[in-house]
Amino acid sequence: MSRVQIEIFLGTLLVLATGALIIVYGLGEEERMARLERQQQGQAIEVGAELYDNNCKGCHGPQGEGVPGLCPPLNDKYLFTDRMKDVGWSGSVEDYIVATVSSGRLTSTRPELYAGQGSPAMPAWSEDYAGPLRQDQIRNIAAFIMNWEPTAPDRRTEGGQLAGPPVGTDITIELPEGDTVNGEALANAKGCVGCHVSTPTGPAWSASEGTPGIADRSALRIEQADYNGTAETAEQYLLESIVLPKAYVVEGYLDNLMPANFGSTLTAQDAADIIAYMLTFK
Amino acid sequence: MLNSLKLQDLRKKLSAAIDQRVRIITAGLGIDELRAVMRGDPPTERPNPRYKVHTTSFLFHIRPRYYERGSTIFAHTFRLGFFTTFAFAVETITGLILMIYYTPSPDEAYSSILNLMSNVPFGSMLRDIHRLGAEAMVIFTTLHMLRTFLTGSYKKDRSFTWLTGVILLGVTLLLSFSGYLLPWDQLAFWAVTIGTSMVEAAPVFGTEANLLLRGAPDIGAGGLLRFYLLHVVLVPLIAILVISIHYYKVAREHGISQPARIEEGKASPEQVKNAKQRVDFIPDLLTHEVFLTALGLFILVAAIAFNFYGGAPLEHIANPQQTPLDTKAPWYFWWLQGMLKLGDKTLMGIILPTIMVAVLVGIPYIDRNPHRSLFKRPWAVGLGLLATLAIVVLSYMGLPEYGIPTPAASRIIQDMAPEEGLGPLREVPFEQLQPGVYEVGQEVPNNLCPDLILGSDQPRGCPELTEVFKDYNDRIIRAATVTNLPKNERLPNVQAVMVIEDWQQDLRKVTMRIGWDDVDSAERKSYERHVYIHRDHGGE
Ligand code: HEC
Ligand code: HEC
Ligand code: HEM
Repeated sequence: MSRVQIEIFLGTLLVLATGALIIVYGLGEEERMARLERQQQGQAIEVGAELYDNNCKGCHGPQGEGVPGLCPPLNDKYLFTDRMKDVGWSGSVEDYIVATVSSGRLTSTRPELYAGQGSPAMPAWSEDYAGPLRQDQIRNIAAFIMNWEPTAPDRRTEGGQLAGPPVGTDITIELPEGDTVNGEALANAKGCVGCHVSTPTGPAWSASEGTPGIADRSALRIEQADYNGTAETAEQYLLESIVLPKAYVVEGYLDNLMPANFGSTLTAQDAADIIAYMLTFK
Repeated sequence: MLNSLKLQDLRKKLSAAIDQRVRIITAGLGIDELRAVMRGDPPTERPNPRYKVHTTSFLFHIRPRYYERGSTIFAHTFRLGFFTTFAFAVETITGLILMIYYTPSPDEAYSSILNLMSNVPFGSMLRDIHRLGAEAMVIFTTLHMLRTFLTGSYKKDRSFTWLTGVILLGVTLLLSFSGYLLPWDQLAFWAVTIGTSMVEAAPVFGTEANLLLRGAPDIGAGGLLRFYLLHVVLVPLIAILVISIHYYKVAREHGISQPARIEEGKASPEQVKNAKQRVDFIPDLLTHEVFLTALGLFILVAAIAFNFYGGAPLEHIANPQQTPLDTKAPWYFWWLQGMLKLGDKTLMGIILPTIMVAVLVGIPYIDRNPHRSLFKRPWAVGLGLLATLAIVVLSYMGLPEYGIPTPAASRIIQDMAPEEGLGPLREVPFEQLQPGVYEVGQEVPNNLCPDLILGSDQPRGCPELTEVFKDYNDRIIRAATVTNLPKNERLPNVQAVMVIEDWQQDLRKVTMRIGWDDVDSAERKSYERHVYIHRDHGGE
């Protein structure tokens, strides 16, 4: 064979081989595209988680559990089921989240439950509305929030009922023995942690430079010259702070941030447990 | 009437008519001639219709009628010029298709690439070919330049060809660089930000030139659009024009040079005579080119189908507010990044590169040595090799690992879980990321999670997580205990943890926290990073 013929022959083989490769590659295309789509979704959730942590956890809680009196929970079954109907939104939940987060909310739709910062209840987040985030970032956060749907607890049926009579607002009552472990769980569930531990919305419970932890601090509070409450012991001070937060307002904080209704949403046992837990922050 | 039309006549007439059509399309080659061409037979007519094509057809008139046998020796050219042209053609075709799916705006660019990859059949392959082709073009151009330099093919009447070649080198780099920004990810954004900031360092008109390129003080919508138009219109147009000029010189004026040993007399008259024989374009050179094209396409497709080429990278979407810890230029600019580490921007980023280009342009005029053989021009070859070596060394120095001191804590954590790309931590299988608090200490258990059972066919526990944690542990302990390290690499009195939490369905949060006493001020410092890992984050 001449060189020309060899090259024509090999060239034809190569073209056929290339064609075969493309066909084989093409057979896996559907599957590969689906995998890439899952990957992109996974990565969007990762990015969203980080953005949520940097921007939203102060109000909506580090795990989306919300803060009673301040902000609604976002990992809540209600958000993914009836909420859209109740606010009259005809689009998808994800779009609702994107829209709400983008433009913020001037006044709360549930002011008695979640007043937020006042006005606006939640600031706008999108750059288009003078917020700090780009649209793609908001989409990622929405993907992250949507990922709560499969595990969202139904708060309307869970724990709505108190296990006993509420503790009330009389701080001189005798409290039962407290349990620190249960106290920690309650502090998380009731949103205390959201304001006092993970964010500086309320005074930090743990000790920081110059300030002792809440356990030692409460004994000092009642000695303070500006103390205007009625507590006589550290425990009483803590109970007072929980059920009558306005009795004494810690300097440097607003008087309307700490929810005022814990007297009716905690039992005496709950209060005792939380106090026992707080007393571990020396 | 009908009777007089014989069947044979009809056939003749028909074949004459077809032959005429074919001749019009092929600009003069009849059917018989085509057959002869395919078989490698000699021309069927006189004058040789295969030469006539070169005057009657546009596409053939820019091709040579023949090369001399000596200049077609593979080891003389390695077909590097051809493969550069091939890569350019591949880029043009794949690029045109990519344009269908791409939108040049900061809001859309990144998501259009995501969409291309997960929603367009063969989209990933297209993107990979375009990326691989671009890198191949840079490699081929550079090697082609090196080969014409080493064979001394830039001398005398080829000096203008060399000059157009130098322009083409610039054009090739510019094509790659302008395309680099288009995916609008962190990698692209910061590499181009750094690249264009070099322009800013140019004396006199630096600020203006930078503004012209970026469209605003920082790269944004304007800058992206400009780079896009540069990449798809202006630079390709220049490339086509200059490649044509470059090639026309070779094809129609001076031909490809003969190997030096033929030209400079070492060869026997027999060999010289043989080397001067003509190799016709039709059919020999043409078949060869078609064959090389098939070969090139096969290699490209195979490299991607068998995943030899890792795939075009795509990092997180560009974020002008967040400078990545490690920024990295594309590899063909590492030498420049290396130079920038050695001096200030104006000197290393503008003045020296300008001198380098001037030297390249000037080579045919500086080097007055008439010889072409490697052995008769020791200075030129020696300096050329030295310059190549210098580029390699500079490229090494351009790596982010080289010469940029990062504080130990952030370095260790960045190496575990880099901001971009996977890194060892993300490569741990998701199931093995057992929630827990793992403290760094002198003793590391052999298995971090002895009770974890992932299935009967798998080993108990989390061997890969343990491996990664051990590495983290060892590096921290080393930084804490070895006292003769540079200050920024030490972590005295270290306290460090890795905390893994179950965060959401299919999502875990890994917190790495390192606390230490600063070597100078003895102040307590700490550094921490949260990494969220989703089961489907991909990359396996
Ligand atoms: C200043 C506190 C605050 C911050 C910070 C905040 N939010 Fe809100 N958010 C609120 C309040 C208050 C509401 C209103 C609740 C209502 O209208 O009942 C709300 C409502 C929402 C809603 C709608 C819930 C519903 O059922 O209507 C979503 C979704 C939401 N926020 C997401 C976010 C995200 C995501 C971030 C972080 C980018 C964020 N929020 C940051 C206070 C905040
Ligand atoms: C919406 C945020 C928020 C939530 C939720 C919240 N607090 Fe507070 N808390 C505050 C703020 C703000 C203050 C300071 C102003 C004041 O004293 O009322 C405060 C003060 C306190 C103090 C007094 C601190 C000191 O340094 O003297 C205690 C004790 C306390 N909270 C306990 C709790 C407990 C227990 C819970 C959960 C049942 C809780 N808080 C829920 C915001 C919050
Ligand atoms: C887009 C980039 C380029 C293309 C497409 C290209 C194409 C070609 C082609 C097809 C040839 C024919 C010979 C061969 O295949 O080797 C050639 C020859 C040549 N090229 Fe290039 N080239 C490019 C860049 C360069 C560069 C960067 C230089 C040097 C600075 C250069 C210098 C030369 C010279 C001197 C010749 C003549 C070689 C000889 O006669 O032996 N070219 N080029």
